Amino acid sequence: MKALKILLILLLLGGASAATVMYSGIVNVAADEPHSDIVYWLLEETREASIKKSAQHIKVPDLESPELLLMGGADYEYMCSSCHLKPGLEESDMSIGLYPQPPNLGISHETHQHGTDEELARQNFWVIKHGIKASGMPAWGKTHSDERIWAMVAFIKRLPTLTPEQYQVLTAID
Amino acid sequence: MKTNFIKTVGKIALILVPAITLSMNASAHDPKMHAKKAEKADCSKMDHSKMDMKDPVAVAMMKKCMKQSKSSMEKMDHSKMKEMDHSKMKGMDHSKMEKKENKKANSDDHQNH
Repeated sequence: MKALKILLILLLLGGASAATVMYSGIVNVAADEPHSDIVYWLLEETREASIKKSAQHIKVPDLESPELLLMGGADYEYMCSSCHLKPGLEESDMSIGLYPQPPNLGISHETHQHGTDEELARQNFWVIKHGIKASGMPAWGKTHSDERIWAMVAFIKRLPTLTPEQYQVLTAID
Repeated sequence: MKTNFIKTVGKIALILVPAITLSMNASAHDPKMHAKKAEKADCSKMDHSKMDMKDPVAVAMMKKCMKQSKSSMEKMDHSKMKEMDHSKMKGMDHSKMEKKENKKANSDDHQNH
């Protein structure tokens, strides 16, 4: 009974502390003020684990078709390039201003992500389809078919190898 | 009457000047970044000799450029080309031109029946 009382008091104290932090306004939500290292690490690890778990059973189709590259290229240019950049564009208003900073998909994935090509493809599919809360990444699955999202995944896979000229041809509108 | 007019102009200026100043600040960054124009594929820089036709990127580029050149040919209004002076067209490579008239003639001669 005594232990239960202590637990109840601790819970009340915890709740009161959380409410004080929430409503006092001391948490800075400005995007130009980065998280502390520990908060950043906690959020990043949580995000990565969530994506990995949610995407683990997704079946990856053949991503080597030229038609997929053409379909995905046009969508990438209009939906993604302003934040995730492209060959010949190293920064933009969005890539500088968003926090957390969107990954530069024009750079080889080995420098910012881990896993096999297949794991990466299914994780990219999941992120494009469902988006990421409070990050600026929209859920494109609400307005785009799985086929179009896979086309974007196929294009993103080849993106780090493209020259600006190749990118221009592949992403141009017919 | 005149005083009223001056007062009205003064009030309008009082509203307009800060409004214009604020809107100029809002568009201070490079507007080109936001002007997404539908660009056509620039196929002039493609070097076919360096292209690996087993590479999906090269195949996709070829398909895009072929589709684009085909659609631009279709958009040409041939009916308005009666008064073309062919003697002034020294650079034309006739070997690369599609002979539509001959094809039409062939389709009309009922040889397939």
